[in-house]
Amino acid sequence: MDGLADRFRAGDERALREAYDRYGRAVLHLAASTLANRSDAEDVTQTTFVAAWLARETFDPAKGSLVGWLLGIGRRKVIDRLRASARETRVVETVRRLPEPARTGPDPDTVVDRLVVADELARLPDDQRRMLELAFYDDLTHQQIATVTGVPLGTVKSHIRRGMASLKRRWEVDGATPGPRPAGFPGAR
Amino acid sequence: MPHLDHDRLVFLALGESEADAGESTHLDTCAHCRAEFDAFRQVAGLGADTQSLRELPDPPEHVWQGIVAEIRAAEALPTLPAPRAEQPRTEQPTAEQPSAGGAGGAGGVVLTPRRRGRWSRWAVTATTAAAAAVLGVVGTLVVLDATEPAPRPPAQRVVLASAPLRAYGSTPPDANGEARVFDNRRLHLHVVNLPDVPGYYEVWLINPRTMEMFSVGVLGDAADELLPLPPNVDLEAYSVVDVSAETYDNNTAHSGESLLRGTLTG
Repeated sequence: MDGLADRFRAGDERALREAYDRYGRAVLHLAASTLANRSDAEDVTQTTFVAAWLARETFDPAKGSLVGWLLGIGRRKVIDRLRASARETRVVETVRRLPEPARTGPDPDTVVDRLVVADELARLPDDQRRMLELAFYDDLTHQQIATVTGVPLGTVKSHIRRGMASLKRRWEVDGATPGPRPAGFPGAR
Repeated sequence: MPHLDHDRLVFLALGESEADAGESTHLDTCAHCRAEFDAFRQVAGLGADTQSLRELPDPPEHVWQGIVAEIRAAEALPTLPAPRAEQPRTEQPTAEQPSAGGAGGAGGVVLTPRRRGRWSRWAVTATTAAAAAVLGVVGTLVVLDATEPAPRPPAQRVVLASAPLRAYGSTPPDANGEARVFDNRRLHLHVVNLPDVPGYYEVWLINPRTMEMFSVGVLGDAADELLPLPPNVDLEAYSVVDVSAETYDNNTAHSGESLLRGTLTG
């Protein structure tokens, strides 16, 4: 893009602020939607960026995007936090004998996947993004999209095809749960 | 049957068209096409769930301040590369000044030039309101310091340790603040959005291991307060700054109602 990842890796402090401005919301969303406690979520956001900055030299742009890397760090911090609170809950339960069910928020992996797909969607060329949003959010058929937008059906289909291919590629690179690959399939990870 | 056309898989996964009998059979028997189809289906499902992610709220300001503070603290650790060769502009830090306790505190003094350098670099490079707010705190320190009846001219203080303060327990989450310990054994508190209480606010230092604590003083109505610390306080042990809501009940102990908390680092 604009070299943000490279500048971040090189230790340019402006890049840290830029990365935070762009992706702080996504990291906070990951933490806030998976942790019960708001201050825990903010704390995870903070420690994610601190850890990323201190480990910036280990970020390899060839292996994925900066936001994917940040979300991966955030995901680990969230999981650590969930484990810690599960331990606390067990201790409390042992003492009080009150088996209060732990809050089951959405799975961190799914939240990461969603954020990665959302990020890629936002980066698609406008036409592709617009068509996919109509298909995803408004549940329109390709024919309906062609009618609504006045774009020929064949063009709608090709935008959607290319957009979907980009989303899938990005998800396979940066997502937390790459799709279930049958064992023995040569492309399995 | 040959593998299904890539485009065809996309449209099937989106539910745009129904698989005919031959395609269904192929998907049931061909692992390759099945995996591709499942992946596209999953992506389509994720895509449909992204609508609520388009307008996510910004993290509160104290998160960024905490990031800056933690990074500065981490970069001041002696194990990291040597500080840049820049002379300290502070007037007072001297070798005999007792530090917060142990190497960490001493490191804070020694590495002051680096930290000041950091601040000014942030100042130059940052262009956002957030950074302006951080700098605002620095400005406040100098002003506050000038009001002190100090025998020496007001100096720019060295910060030995600092802690972002966050809403604790059921306190509204927009309450927050910052605590800093200066090299002249003053605790500076900056608080915002504290909820109204019938009594008053009191500031404590807590040892998180033993939960022993002592009162540092009372917080007035102003956003900033400068409180003296006991000369021999061990800030490595008493590392948690706590702001509590107290009532006028002649009970000097902590009420148990903490409004803000933060852990000193540096």
